[in-house]
Amino acid sequence: MSAGIQLRSTLSRSILAESSEPQLIYVLLELSAQGVPTTLPKLPLNLCLVIDRSSSMRGERLQHVKEGASRIIDMLSDDDYFGLVTFNDRAEVVVPAQRARNKHELKRLVGMIEAAGGTEMATGMALALQEIQKPMLARGVSRILLLTDGRTYGDESRCVEIARRAQKRSIGVTALGVGGEWNEDLLETVAARENSRTQYITSALDISKVFTDEVKRMSSIFAQDMGLRVEMRPGAILRSLDRVRPFIAPIAATEEQDALWAASLGDWPGGDPQAILLEVVVPPLTVGDHPLLRLTMRYSLPGMNLNNQQGELVLRIGIRPNDQVTYGVDATVKHWLERLVAYRLQAGAWQQVEQGQIEEATRRLQMAGTRLFEAGEVDLARTVQDEATRLLRSGQTSAEGRKRIKYGTRGLMGRDKSTD
Amino acid sequence: MQQCSHCNAQQLDGAIFCSECGASLLAAPSRRGTTASLNKAAGRPNLVETIEPNIVEAPAAVSAPNISLVVINSGRRINLEGGQDLVVGRKDNQRGIFPDVDLGLDGGYDAGVSRRHAIIIPRNGGYVIEDLASANGTFINGRRVKPQAPVAVNHGDEVKFGTLILRFEIV
Repeated sequence: MSAGIQLRSTLSRSILAESSEPQLIYVLLELSAQGVPTTLPKLPLNLCLVIDRSSSMRGERLQHVKEGASRIIDMLSDDDYFGLVTFNDRAEVVVPAQRARNKHELKRLVGMIEAAGGTEMATGMALALQEIQKPMLARGVSRILLLTDGRTYGDESRCVEIARRAQKRSIGVTALGVGGEWNEDLLETVAARENSRTQYITSALDISKVFTDEVKRMSSIFAQDMGLRVEMRPGAILRSLDRVRPFIAPIAATEEQDALWAASLGDWPGGDPQAILLEVVVPPLTVGDHPLLRLTMRYSLPGMNLNNQQGELVLRIGIRPNDQVTYGVDATVKHWLERLVAYRLQAGAWQQVEQGQIEEATRRLQMAGTRLFEAGEVDLARTVQDEATRLLRSGQTSAEGRKRIKYGTRGLMGRDKSTD
Repeated sequence: MQQCSHCNAQQLDGAIFCSECGASLLAAPSRRGTTASLNKAAGRPNLVETIEPNIVEAPAAVSAPNISLVVINSGRRINLEGGQDLVVGRKDNQRGIFPDVDLGLDGGYDAGVSRRHAIIIPRNGGYVIEDLASANGTFINGRRVKPQAPVAVNHGDEVKFGTLILRFEIV
């Protein structure tokens, strides 16, 4: 079987009743990797760690960070590059970007990191961007791995700017927050590009594992430069486009021509199932079967040296007279939609909190709780309800609850089941 | 077009959730919000879900009418079948306490709802509420109910468990 990405679509309803009004359908697009060799040829990796060494990292946290960094060094092969930058009130290059050959020496340098001082993230990121661009890689994966437990003061916009500069040069950023103090808005914004991601590390004990998991993902990229094109039939409208698996994130799509939308989906690290949810407004149509839209996926498979690959899928819907249509909704589509709705509700709630609309925000959070509860996310639903109650009572939210909800609704906290 | 029953926003036909308030636009399944549905919700979803039309059944002659409890701060409506004793409280898996009405997800813990807080009992075609010696009390229209002394409750009454306010409705 030839290698490639297989596309599979499920519609919320494939048969619609004849109507003089536009109707809404939801499309779940699932991507699966086909013909993947059991062991993907490993791509050369160019990695730069950016570690917060402010005084709040002292003790267990920094210990686990060092352990994680040492394990990463052990995982790297001779043609991978490794660099390490630390920051507190200022930034310094601890390990200049180099091939990961003298592992003993690299680990010794990691071991000498000590915690002290404040948090100034932007200088750290700027230095990391400089280091990571030193090696020249013809192919492979470049990644900045940022870990912080605190807030940076006054240089947030510079952090975002540096991240964008990196992302434009195909250098992805993984932004990891540990503890309850860091600024989740900042890390989410920093990682809000298709080649980046963010994650919430709830316990210092997990730092080392999250580090090594991320490196494993990076070194087993199945597809790169994935691009999706959505061609609508005349009159149909693409109302929204969101990734729902492996985690929820809106996808930025641009209308290239009339009724033709294009979006970049970035890389596909091996193993993670991918799914996208589209909301499509169907114009009034006559009874019969109609093509609705054409989905085209373009990508390259770097491990197999296959560039400019393409897969295509045409979605059709049936229109029937009203009395022949039973109203049923596909439960899988509904499940992912329900989680997406919960994510949108909580995102809206935080905006309203900022604007001082506490009652409205509480209502949204409570509805987000209901959606999560119905989607089977009972623990997360409880966290959301608790936070809603807190908000209603005190007009405030807790830093930790907010993080758990923001990251939990997106599916970015792993299978961590909180027990309060 | 259809109208969201929660916020009255106009929504396209075929929309599953309201784009304004996030409420489900599908017909609400009955007995939602009881412990039984909580267990069901935690399981895996069925592959195909068919939405049954709302069938209006003739009320049974002998049993008490069905009731609803509406959680005021969330608008969550808990529909309950009439004619049986209903324990109100908070689910606790460890202690094996599974009340008929679980207020755990409505912020019951913070509001001071006890695990076994009160019991709603059908009596003479109507209902009475008995407080089960809860820590933070049960109130009907602002007046505290004596523990273990059933008090009549009528359609539209405000019932407070701890500080969680609900509206009692006879359907």
